[in-house]
Amino acid sequence: MSTLTPRQRLSRLDVKASPYLYIAPFFILFALVGLFPLLYTFVVSLYDWHLLKGQGDFVGLGNFTAVLQDRFFWNSLFNTFSIFLLSAIPQLLAAVIIAAVLDANIRGKTFWRMAVLLPYVVTPVAVSIIFSNLFGDDYGLVNNLLQNFGLDPVAWHRETFASHFAIATMVNWRWTGYNALILLAAMQAVPRELHESAAIDGAGAVRRFVSITIPSIRPTMIFVIITATIGGLQIFAEPRLFDPATAGGVGGSHRQFQTTVLYLWEMAFFRQNFGEAAAIAWLLFIIIIVIGLINFMLTRRIATGDSAKSRRALPWVRRRHEQVEQTVTTPGTIAEDVKL
Amino acid sequence: MKLSRGTTAGSVIAGAAAFALLATGCASDAGASDGDVELTITTFGTFGYDDLYKQYEDENPGVTIKATNIDTGGNARTDAFTKLAAGSGLSDVVAVEEGWLGQIMEVSDQFVDLGDHGADDVKDRWIDWKLSQATDPDGRIIGYGTDIGPTGLCYNGALFEAAGMPSDREAVAELFGGEDATWEQYFDLGKQYFDATGKPWFDHSGFVWNSIVNQLDEGYYTADGKLNVEGNDELKARFLELAEAAQYGLSADQAAWDWGGGKAFVDGTFATFVCPGWMLGVVQGQVEAGGGDASTGWDFADVFPGGAGNWGGAFLSVPKTSEHPEEAAKLAEWLTAPEQQIKQFEAAGTFPSTTEAQEKLAADATPNEFFNDAPVGAILASRAEGVIAQYKGPHDSLIQENVFGPALKSVDEGTKDGPAAWDEAISLLNEVVPD
Repeated sequence: MSTLTPRQRLSRLDVKASPYLYIAPFFILFALVGLFPLLYTFVVSLYDWHLLKGQGDFVGLGNFTAVLQDRFFWNSLFNTFSIFLLSAIPQLLAAVIIAAVLDANIRGKTFWRMAVLLPYVVTPVAVSIIFSNLFGDDYGLVNNLLQNFGLDPVAWHRETFASHFAIATMVNWRWTGYNALILLAAMQAVPRELHESAAIDGAGAVRRFVSITIPSIRPTMIFVIITATIGGLQIFAEPRLFDPATAGGVGGSHRQFQTTVLYLWEMAFFRQNFGEAAAIAWLLFIIIIVIGLINFMLTRRIATGDSAKSRRALPWVRRRHEQVEQTVTTPGTIAEDVKL
Repeated sequence: MKLSRGTTAGSVIAGAAAFALLATGCASDAGASDGDVELTITTFGTFGYDDLYKQYEDENPGVTIKATNIDTGGNARTDAFTKLAAGSGLSDVVAVEEGWLGQIMEVSDQFVDLGDHGADDVKDRWIDWKLSQATDPDGRIIGYGTDIGPTGLCYNGALFEAAGMPSDREAVAELFGGEDATWEQYFDLGKQYFDATGKPWFDHSGFVWNSIVNQLDEGYYTADGKLNVEGNDELKARFLELAEAAQYGLSADQAAWDWGGGKAFVDGTFATFVCPGWMLGVVQGQVEAGGGDASTGWDFADVFPGGAGNWGGAFLSVPKTSEHPEEAAKLAEWLTAPEQQIKQFEAAGTFPSTTEAQEKLAADATPNEFFNDAPVGAILASRAEGVIAQYKGPHDSLIQENVFGPALKSVDEGTKDGPAAWDEAISLLNEVVPD
């Protein structure tokens, strides 16, 4: 071993070091634009920090306590969750259904798939401007239609729930198709044999969808739900542009639709308090992680209750992998499950 | 989906090309040849500069102007401060609004002292207070004044007539009390109008409030820079007077800067509108956007409740981050020269801040076709008499938008009466405005 030629040494080094070099660009980029800002934000959150005048005194967790005692912060959390629930749930349900329809044998597949994705191409800014016009209080198209049917106009910008509904509509319009396509891709990877054998065993379309399709696309569902959670809790452009002028565009005259990121923006660039804004950013970060974990655990339980039983002793990662593997490789098991 | 070999190769090339573009993009800025300068400028609202840019480019070969216009002064403020904080991104010339000039003054060292670029030769052209507003405590001039905001009354003659009121400009001025016009009189007339037509008198309370506050000797701040809201009995009395009028039904509760895409200006939603000079361009723009024209009936009277007042006006500043401070200062100087201020006035109704241009307009009775042939320039010059600049503190625009804005919205929506809305304003003040 000690008589390796330089060339051999180089070759060994290549084997050992190259993999790290190959993945290095991502990690270097991540450290630069992900990790560093994250940590620096935390540093900022520990100081009095003015947008223009810069760093002030060290205040410890003072900014965090100030934010937690701030009624506008809690108001923004309420708004964020309200809009999130109003958008995420209908959106994912619709996406699953659309994906299932697209997965069936329909004519003009590519056309339908493109059509579903089209809203995603439009920038959120354009979507917000068009929708806030549609949802205008006095002259909007939606209210005009309502009045044509003899209904009372809705104060879309003034009332809390109505404004949340309008903003959730923008989000749904833009994201449903995107999620549907991702779910569709997952559905197409489900082996057809599973469906066939289940069909032979007498399972109807709905039964097959619930017992085969849904469990099989579970990893993708988790992905879609987690990204929807992150996106939903970080919503900014839509509420910002829903009313860009009133009270400086901070989300309605009485902050009816001020989300947490919008509040963060107000704190940082409107009130120029960078310290508290950084604290809000960190609190939001923690909240998103917590909600993400809760969603992850909930989704793991969805639709796969029975096959998880036998492997309770194994760590969750292995369990999940094995289970996916099993779902894919041993159609018999599922088919038997279906029959039960 | 199966990728054919052709598509794969194609996308690899496309990706590589995109990356190459990205990599070279940063360097290409410096590629301009000698003598050629590209100047960027950011304005807001209806500034009326478009033709002037062209003229400047024609007269100064080698200079190209890249202009950005932001919809409202409030959004321009956010834009400016965000870029100041980032330390880059500001245009070579930045329009600063009077309402947030106080905040700019706190970081005046980030702006070029125009005294280094010949400001001393031209500083006599401005009226005194405009110049002193733009001078920082160290005596550096950090902005050239563009316009000031003497305020007159816009009213819709057709609606006045329909309500049995005089619609003729002089008669209207007389009706509101001429030189001695008061807000009380304005609100009383509004109530008569409301009783006769069932329609609101003004678009929303926020703008009326702005003009009321701007008339006071001291507004949200005392002249020596102390907050002057809590315990300010005069301010509160004015607030309650306005709230009472709004509760009566005089406010149309419109969203400012939206006005239903201008339709509220056209369909008779409200009959009067507070009009600083620069607002005239806004009114015209809104009416036209809403599908109206001169026949919609808007007119401009030489009268204003509560007397003279200045609302708004702007300055052109050159941030230190500018790569061409000399050329930028020259452009700012040219744009704010009397001749150009007159052209700006003709394009957007902004009333000049230089004595020469003001005198010219005062003698000028050119009718404005859009405002029922009103001699807008002469009227504004008359409205500018006795205007006193009020001291604007660092958080003036914040108080205007996020303290009194929401409180007056409560009044307009009918969810709070005057005293409750005042309390809301005070509690917002304590929460939002840093000590």
